[in-house]
Amino acid sequence: MIDLVGRVGRWVLERFKEVLQVSVLMVDTVVWLVVAPLTGKGFRWRSSIRNFVEFGVRSLPIVGMISFLIGVIIALQASYTLDQWGANRYIADLVAVSALRELAPLMTAILIAGRCGSAITAEIGTMKVNEEIDALEVMGVNPIKYLVAPKFLAMVTAVPAVTALAMLIMIFGGWASAVFVVGVETEIYVTQTIGAIVEKDLLTGMIKSLFFGIAICWVGVYRGFQVEGGAEGVGRQTTASVVTAIFLIIIVDLIFTVLFYYV
Amino acid sequence: MEPIIVVEDLQVAYGDKVVLDGINLSVEPGEVFVILGGSGSGKTTLLRNLVGLMRPQAGRILIDGRDFTSMSAAERMDIRRTMGMCFQGSALLGSLSVADNVALPLREHTKLEESTIDIMTRIKLELVGLGGFEDYLPSELSGGMRKRAGIARAMAMDPKVIFYDEPSAGLDPIVAAGLDELIRTMQSTFNLTSVVVTHEMESVRIIADRVCVLHQGRVAGIGSLDELERSDHQYIQQFFARRPDDPGTADADYARSLTNID
Repeated sequence: MIDLVGRVGRWVLERFKEVLQVSVLMVDTVVWLVVAPLTGKGFRWRSSIRNFVEFGVRSLPIVGMISFLIGVIIALQASYTLDQWGANRYIADLVAVSALRELAPLMTAILIAGRCGSAITAEIGTMKVNEEIDALEVMGVNPIKYLVAPKFLAMVTAVPAVTALAMLIMIFGGWASAVFVVGVETEIYVTQTIGAIVEKDLLTGMIKSLFFGIAICWVGVYRGFQVEGGAEGVGRQTTASVVTAIFLIIIVDLIFTVLFYYV
Repeated sequence: MEPIIVVEDLQVAYGDKVVLDGINLSVEPGEVFVILGGSGSGKTTLLRNLVGLMRPQAGRILIDGRDFTSMSAAERMDIRRTMGMCFQGSALLGSLSVADNVALPLREHTKLEESTIDIMTRIKLELVGLGGFEDYLPSELSGGMRKRAGIARAMAMDPKVIFYDEPSAGLDPIVAAGLDELIRTMQSTFNLTSVVVTHEMESVRIIADRVCVLHQGRVAGIGSLDELERSDHQYIQQFFARRPDDPGTADADYARSLTNID
C-alpha cells in the first residue's frame, strides 16, 4: 500500500515538473515571439516562413486528400439514415456543420501532429544529441529564440490556414458523394450548405485549430528538449510526441466543444 | 597579469554522486591550459561548468573577474560572446552550410552587412584551412574538417578564450597532429587563451603550457608538463607512464562504482 502511494506520489510530482517545464517553455516562447522583436532583439522571419511552408503548404496534399475522402464518407453515412425519411438534401447540412465545427479542425490537427509535431521533436532531439543546442547556448544564441519561436509562429498560422482549406475540401467531398452517388442536385446541395453554415460554426473550428496548433508545437518542442541518450532517445520521444499531441488535441477539442455548447 | 579564468572550490554533483569536489585552478591570459584526466575523472563536467552549460552546487567561476556562476541568464549570454567552444563532435548545425555555421554568431550578435559577414567568414575558414568549403554541409566533411569548421565558428566573434573538448578524439594521428598545430597557431597568432580537455598525452606534449590533472573529481596536480612529470603523485605517475591499474584495484573500484559502498 505504502509502495503504491509512493508510486502515485512520484508520478504526480513528475507530472507537476513537466507542467512547470512546459510553462517555462511557453513563457520563453511568448517573450521571444512578442516582447523580443519590440525591444530590438529581432525575429527570424525567414525561418518562420520556411517552417510555414513545411507545416502548412507541404501538409496540404495529405490533408486535402483525407478531407475529401472524409467528406465523401460522411455524406454516404448520412444518406444511409436520411434516405429512409426522404431527407437526403440535409446531407449538405450535416457535412457542412460537422466539417466546420469538428472534423476538418480535428483531422487537420491529427495529421499535422503526426507529420510535423514528430518532425519538430526529431529535429530538436537530434540537435540536442549532437550538442547543437549546447553549441547555440555557448555562442550566446538563445535556442528558444533561434529554434522555437519561428516554429511556433509558423505552426499557429499554418494549422488554421490548412484547416480552412480542409473545411472547403471536406464540403466538396460531401458534394461529390451526394451529387454523384446519392443523386442530390448541386443547386439544392449548395443552397442547403449556405443555409446551414453560421458564423459561429466557422469561428468554433478556427479557434479550435489555433489551439490545436499551439498544442502540437509545444508538445513537439518539449519532447525534443527531453531527448536523452542518442538515437534511441530521439525515437522514444518522437513516438511520445505524437501520442501526447493527439491526446492533447482531443482534450482541447472536448474543452472547446463544451465551451461552445453553452456559449 | 590577472588570470582570465579563476575556479574556486567548485563542487558539482549528479544527484548524490559528487563528480567534482573542491576544484581550484586559474588560467592565465594567452596560455594553453590543458585539463587532463582519465575517463570519468570529471574533466568534461568541469568544461561544461566553465562555459556555463551547467551550474555548480558550490564554488565560483570567475571569467575576466566576473562571477559566471551567479550571473543572470542575460549576463551569461553576454559573456559567452567573448568565448568560443569546439565540441567533441564539432556540433555544427547540420541544416546549415559550413559558411552559415561560421556566420551564425556574427548574424545573431552584430549588425554587420551581409557582405562583411561573408568576407569575415571566408577569412575564418581560410585560417583553419577550409577555404573553398563554404557551401559544403557538415555531413559532407570528414571528421577532421568538421573539427576545423568548429574552430572557425568558435573564432567567429574573435573570442578572448576558446575551449576545446577532446579535439583529437576519433581522429587519425596525422589529422590529430594537424589540429594540435592549429591550436598552437591560434594561440601564438592571436595570443588566444585556450582551455583544452583531453586524455591524449601526445597532444598534451605539443600544445600544453600548463596542465591540470584531474582524478576522481579532484585536482591531482597543476603545473607545466615537466613539473608534473617529476610529480610523486601516484596517479599522475601512472597516467604519464601509461601503466594499467592493478587488476584487483580496478575490480574493486568497478564494484564500488556500481554499489556506492566503500
